[in-house]
Amino acid sequence: MSSINSAQSEGPSGYRQAVELEFAEATKRYPGTDSAAVDGLSLTVPAGEICVLVGPSGCGKTTAMRMVNRMIDISDGDILVGGKSVKHRNADELRREIGYVIQQIGLFPHRTIADNIATVPRLLGWSKAKINDRVHELLELIGLPSEMATRYPTQLSGGQRQRVGVARALAADPPLMLMDEPFGAIDPINRERLQSEFLRLQAEIRKTIVFVTHDIDEAIRMGDKIAILQVGGKLAQYASPSEILLHPANAFVEDFVGADRALKRLALLRVSDIPRDQLGTANGGPEIAHDTILRDALSDLLQHGELHGRVVDEHGTAIGSLTVETLARLAKA
Amino acid sequence: MSLALFAQLELRDRENQPPSCVERNGFCPDWIADNWERYKTPLIEHIELTLISVAIGFVIAFSLALIAHRRRWLIPPITQITGILYTLPSVALFFLLLPLTGRGKTTAIIALVAYSLLIIFRNVITGLDEVPEEARDAGRGMGLTPRQLLWRVELPLALPAIMAGLRIAVTTTVGLTALVFLAGAGGLGEAIFADTQFRSNVVVAGGLCVVLAVVLDLTVLGVQKLITPWTRGVAT
Repeated sequence: MSSINSAQSEGPSGYRQAVELEFAEATKRYPGTDSAAVDGLSLTVPAGEICVLVGPSGCGKTTAMRMVNRMIDISDGDILVGGKSVKHRNADELRREIGYVIQQIGLFPHRTIADNIATVPRLLGWSKAKINDRVHELLELIGLPSEMATRYPTQLSGGQRQRVGVARALAADPPLMLMDEPFGAIDPINRERLQSEFLRLQAEIRKTIVFVTHDIDEAIRMGDKIAILQVGGKLAQYASPSEILLHPANAFVEDFVGADRALKRLALLRVSDIPRDQLGTANGGPEIAHDTILRDALSDLLQHGELHGRVVDEHGTAIGSLTVETLARLAKA
Repeated sequence: MSLALFAQLELRDRENQPPSCVERNGFCPDWIADNWERYKTPLIEHIELTLISVAIGFVIAFSLALIAHRRRWLIPPITQITGILYTLPSVALFFLLLPLTGRGKTTAIIALVAYSLLIIFRNVITGLDEVPEEARDAGRGMGLTPRQLLWRVELPLALPAIMAGLRIAVTTTVGLTALVFLAGAGGLGEAIFADTQFRSNVVVAGGLCVVLAVVLDLTVLGVQKLITPWTRGVAT
């Protein structure tokens, strides 16, 4: 009698509902300094979205993030997690409900990978069996073989450690995650891989995420919304990536997103995002697959010295023509 | 007391025999084999004094270090006071203590404990200071209370340094315990100084000191390896 079909564990089932996060005039002033580190920051991160805090060093982005879980105390104003102020909560209990990932990862070198991941569930007093199940579920989620569970952090590569850092933050299924330059210490190639991996993961787990970075490209890539802070902890603009690239709120934002913001905007779109009626009838030029990123399509046209290319669908059938004029309009639009 | 010492000096039977190995104050395996028993008590005393002193010293120094870890301003004064105790010649300390605690094991233990404090205190502090800041930050950020952070993260990570301090404390205490006979507390030192002319005696009693130091050192090292599995080789 084989009873293989026992209770199926279907991976991360039933995630806890993400919560809305609101900064309400949140201010941090350090004693003995006249200017604030974070100055009256007000913004709302809808549940399940990634909000990237980005800006030059000294803009207070990390301070703003660390006020959320009270690693830094709020001087003025408030921060609401799921509508509740964090100020009157027990800091340790609050932190156990908020995932926390830092650039240096901060895995405990003396604990195995499994024990590292189990940190918060243990603090919350979960049963051994439940913790064990959860650890293996998370290892699978981040794509690490389960024999890694008994290794120590020094026995893993940088990328693997970073994944474990994310798994550890997710362990107790927090509705909100704070990530401070989580991929900052990873080499560029692996960083890109970790970014897309994380976006795929987020599509599944739908957490509310505050993501800090100094890299505008990473911000554009990861953010549903981007909050650009300028030195002195003032919010310069809070909008979607394409909105920021299209309509920078001021000279600072314009400068910060870079001279190539038109190209960055093209990088956000694919050929398939262009309405069919805006594609002319195909008349020669280099072949452009319909899922090409517009920036790459432009580069391709320039490469061939052509002003238009032939757009083909997945079967190789020509479906229209993409012209440099169209691209110029989209970059500016 | 002087009578007892005098009796100790009469280790050998000096009847009219041709000058034997023993009479020539030589290194005599036969004599050693026959007189092994006489070193048993001093050895046990020596072990007891060492272990008791290091244990008490550890409890005191470790507690001081935990207190000073959170109140950094306490580190310099504690280092200075334990430093004075460390540099004070132990023989002088015995005589200073005589009017207070008299002769015997109590005096010896107080002196030995005083001597071990600095070594252990400094190593616990160093170990705690060397805990990677990001591990501390991650721990706090995940909601470990200060106490949980100390016992679950900081102290385990400080173990290699703490155990290193313990090893130094144990080996130096074994050496110092060889002097506590001056305070009338026995130990292998008493056996050595009972007859410093007689090579067999010096080699056995002195040798036991060395062996004891090595064995205790290796024991602490073994315990350290056992309780810090993560420090062993990176490769699997």
